[in-house]
Amino acid sequence: MAEQKSNERAKTPEALKFYFTAVDPPRGDEHNPHAKATTYVPEVVEALQEQFGDAIEAVELYAGEHTVRVRADRIVDVCRFLKEAQGFNYLADLGGIDRFTDEGRFEVFYNLVAIERRKRIRLKVRLEEDHPVVPSVTSVYRAANWNERECYDMFGIRFEGHPDLRRMYMPEDFEYHPLRKEFPLLGIPGSLPLPPQTPGGPLTYDPFARAHGYVPPPSYEEPPAETEET
Amino acid sequence: MLDLREGFLTTRLDVVLNWARSNSLMPMPMGLACCAIEMMAFAGPKYDVARFGSEAMRFSPRQADLMIVAGWCTYKMAHAIRRVWDQMPDPKWCIAMGACASTGGMHRCYGVVQGIDNFLPVDVYIPGCPPRPEAVLHALMDIQEKIRNTYSVAQDYLHGEPRPAAPPIRPQVLSPEGDEPVARNVLHRSLKSSFNHGRAEE
Repeated sequence: MAEQKSNERAKTPEALKFYFTAVDPPRGDEHNPHAKATTYVPEVVEALQEQFGDAIEAVELYAGEHTVRVRADRIVDVCRFLKEAQGFNYLADLGGIDRFTDEGRFEVFYNLVAIERRKRIRLKVRLEEDHPVVPSVTSVYRAANWNERECYDMFGIRFEGHPDLRRMYMPEDFEYHPLRKEFPLLGIPGSLPLPPQTPGGPLTYDPFARAHGYVPPPSYEEPPAETEET
Repeated sequence: MLDLREGFLTTRLDVVLNWARSNSLMPMPMGLACCAIEMMAFAGPKYDVARFGSEAMRFSPRQADLMIVAGWCTYKMAHAIRRVWDQMPDPKWCIAMGACASTGGMHRCYGVVQGIDNFLPVDVYIPGCPPRPEAVLHALMDIQEKIRNTYSVAQDYLHGEPRPAAPPIRPQVLSPEGDEPVARNVLHRSLKSSFNHGRAEE
């Protein structure tokens, strides 16, 4: 019977694989006619290099935008320096990137804005796949709270020192991180149950119950609930 | 016991009850996304669903008997929708409004239910992204047609037993290609017969 079969469920989470790896061609320093002076901040980059030295792993200038890659354990100090000494008082965005490479698979980016100076800068942190842990910047920017929760939900990157690191969008008992590359587009069947087909019935673990021939019964044809019989 | 399906009293009572039910449907607006905007237009003065007696949107499921699921439905929201549906009293009907509620639409991804008929008994599906308010009106008229062609008294009496389909009490104007449309030749000449008729005249 379709109902019984659809309610079977694997108890342990599946080991996911992703076989396709896209390789982008190397890009040059292309001219960006829309780039504005707000994203070109060489003086801030020099100040960062002078202050932190080796903690600044790389500085990229692409399309007129400065991106500074920082060592993961110094990100809180860098953010505090930028906020207090350089006036970057607004965290515009924070999120994760799955680069799907062998080394430094995950990236966390921080888009900072100095409202008074009208400048923007982007920080990046690279993390290894087997240890995706980065210190939380909520002690510097309180706005990072929900962004870090979202990043944890979607990529499984853990933020040390976060006050309330729970899932943002997915249910709390969900076992996967959907924006990782190996996660299939339509999800894992059975990982997100649908509601019961009758008021007292079991959850529906088949996400395509209707396509597999199971039709939800109208309420006047539903079997009586068990509480009515006793 | 007397056969309730064919008695004069019950069939006439059915007509009265179905007339009352079909012309006083109280929708439960389950507005989830942009389709809800079109659903507001459907309830507003220009398209004026009050002509069909359904202008009273009930935000309490206890007072509603028609759920219009308008918009895409996530797996998390599905449990809330099913709970609201279970709280609605019988008899009740359900409209899946728009491509997303009907099939998942363009949201072909892990978080969106690929059609609310995976957990709700849907009576009428409306295509469109979003559908025009006329399409929602048409769906409402289809629901009314469905109500007028059911046994209401006999259904209440014979609860849970399998029943044959009710005979249509009036010509099926909206869906002439049904099983046994009454007065089909009067209201809807079929395409084939009209074609042959035209050939014969030539």
